[in-house]
Amino acid sequence: MATTIQHPARADRAQNRSARAGATGVGPLERQRRRTFWPFTAPALAVYLVLFIAPVGYALWTSLYKWDGMGAMQWRGLKNYSLLFQDPSFCTSLVNTLELMVIGGTVTFVISFALTLVLREMRARLFARSVLFFPSLVNGMVFGIAAGFLFSPSGPVNQALRLFGVTTPPKWLSTDNLLPMVLGTLIWTATGYYTSIIMAAVDQIPDYFYEAAELDGAGAFQRFRHITLPCAWDVISVCAVLWTVSSVKIFELILLFGGSTNAFPPVSSWNTALYVYTEAFPQGTVPRLGMATAAAITSLVMVTVITIVLRRVLRREPIEY
Amino acid sequence: MGRTAMSAGRVVGAATAVALVLGVSACGSSGSGDSAKAGGGFTYWSMWRSDEPQAKVLTAAIADFTAGTGIKVNVNWVGRDIAKKIGPAIAANQAPDLWDESDDNVYGATASAGQALDLSPVLEMQVPGENVPVSQVIPAKYFDMEPKDPSGGTHYVIPYEVATNAMFYNAADPAITAAMPTPPTDWAGLLKVCDALKAAGKACVASEGEDPWSNELFFDYLLNGAGVNVAQLAADKSGAAWDNPAVLAAAKQVDQLVKGGYLIPGYDATKYPAQETNWASGKAAFYMDGNYVTSEVAKEVPSSWKMSSLLPPTAKVPDATLFGFAIPKRAKHIDAAEQFIAYFMQKKEMIGISTTALNITPRADIPAPAELAGAQQALNSPTVRQTFDGAAGSWRPKVLDQNYLDFWHGKTTPEQFVAKCKADQVSYWQTQG
Repeated sequence: MATTIQHPARADRAQNRSARAGATGVGPLERQRRRTFWPFTAPALAVYLVLFIAPVGYALWTSLYKWDGMGAMQWRGLKNYSLLFQDPSFCTSLVNTLELMVIGGTVTFVISFALTLVLREMRARLFARSVLFFPSLVNGMVFGIAAGFLFSPSGPVNQALRLFGVTTPPKWLSTDNLLPMVLGTLIWTATGYYTSIIMAAVDQIPDYFYEAAELDGAGAFQRFRHITLPCAWDVISVCAVLWTVSSVKIFELILLFGGSTNAFPPVSSWNTALYVYTEAFPQGTVPRLGMATAAAITSLVMVTVITIVLRRVLRREPIEY
Repeated sequence: MGRTAMSAGRVVGAATAVALVLGVSACGSSGSGDSAKAGGGFTYWSMWRSDEPQAKVLTAAIADFTAGTGIKVNVNWVGRDIAKKIGPAIAANQAPDLWDESDDNVYGATASAGQALDLSPVLEMQVPGENVPVSQVIPAKYFDMEPKDPSGGTHYVIPYEVATNAMFYNAADPAITAAMPTPPTDWAGLLKVCDALKAAGKACVASEGEDPWSNELFFDYLLNGAGVNVAQLAADKSGAAWDNPAVLAAAKQVDQLVKGGYLIPGYDATKYPAQETNWASGKAAFYMDGNYVTSEVAKEVPSSWKMSSLLPPTAKVPDATLFGFAIPKRAKHIDAAEQFIAYFMQKKEMIGISTTALNITPRADIPAPAELAGAQQALNSPTVRQTFDGAAGSWRPKVLDQNYLDFWHGKTTPEQFVAKCKADQVSYWQTQG
């Protein structure tokens, strides 16, 4: 026990010593590299500061005030945040955001894995991949608009179901089914996208791994579990993060599926992005920018925490091949 | 081989780049007016897009105005996003000198925050060529219904178009005339008409089940008939206003429509405009909406169709939405903008709103298009009211909408609906800070 504690400390000291030694006794190439570090990094850093950090900082600052965007700002401190968590519609939005993230993510990745299993070995796989990728090229709005026609009580979907003997199909477009419909569209468009990325990684795995496994008697699922999954793990974990981040930003789909010309979608289908929108652009009244930014900051913190945790959980030793 | 493939690739690449540049520059060159500076004139941001008939009427008026006065108008046809853009523009001191929107948006986006100019001086101005002040052609009732701005004024919008919400129907439909020889005078009378229609195989009311707003209009009018002011109902932080027996009674009347099977079958499983289309093709008798619905279905309905409208029988006062001019307090060319407002109040200019844009004007001496004659007649009432009595902001989405949809879909009873609204209203006001 004692040695395991002492050991890293000693390693740290050693590293510090070598770092200090490095600062004085470096070669000309290294010196030049260090001299050019700031001139080359500064522009990127400046852009990052101006376009990302500054707006976030401004939003954070605004979230501490009551402000209509025009008049004077009134100091509120953290009250906006406490109001936010008292607001049942925000809590619904938060739950829905997590629901979209977790359920949507799980289903998308399970389907993606199943597809990689098939796609790696099937014929005409390039064609199949293009077909799978296509939905993600189409703007989500198109689905929102088409849904009204496709899923109407006498629409093509129900007519097709009738052929299979389903006489009482669900009321697809009822407000209860709003979130499941959004989720379905999301999964449909995202699956092809993530399958394509994961397949690009799978293509890099040498065939002899699979051949060897096959000779050892491994079935398709075992080959997936012991070869595909570990070898493509890096890419999969990046995909998981991409999904997490993008799922929080879903907005136009809900607005289009549930909204009408005169009203926002019903609260039961809001996510945090939509909550921010309704606070920032309410109908017939001045914006509540303090509440809107507080909600946006809360959702930013949430997605940051989840991303960090996800990165930790998914971290594995990279496999080199 | 490799070389030709390479150069072919380059040609395709170059062609794509050229096409993109041309495409983008074409976009850039078509946008005009935005950068125009107001030199001796004023800037005007409009809620209409340049291809809308109202924009054509306004464009003609602007041409006449500039020819007559020499004042240039720099117009920007912004479209409906204008209500979202005006606040930031005012904050950045980039506000236009004149803009137009519906009265609730003018109030919500500017007047309620004290950012709209009091236009009382415009009401005193003479209408060019008519020898009467503006106040004489625009009825005072339209200002009386408006909520007061922080300085107590209601003259922050001068209307040139008025809309109302009602139940629209085809008066030439024999099934409807048989079921309704004369318009019903009470709620029971309406239900009788519905029964007769149902017996004749026609749904009574077509409803876009997903849209809270148009369906809530029934409740809004019923509350009005029962003497309940919706804005006051919404403003009660304790929620006790929902305990008023008249509120529950109105909810029970709405419930009669739902439970009586008078709503078109499948209304809770479609998306707009499925039921509007069903109504226009004669599958249902009534459709509750703003009067713009008449122009929406103008191309769908046969020429034999005779558009009429009625209010839910108990309603006392018709609601009205104004579309009109407003001037931000921080505008720089107020005089010129005010002159233009007075100029557009002329009968010969405003009449285009009726003849070209096919809408109702606030001037009683301009007849509405034939299909809106009934709506204009309703608006001739001595008083008018705002929809939901002007209850605005997040109250509807956070308190009323979801609960009303559940109720309208038959999932909750009137008692449950009222109780849920009361509870949600209490927590709504707790989070308003």
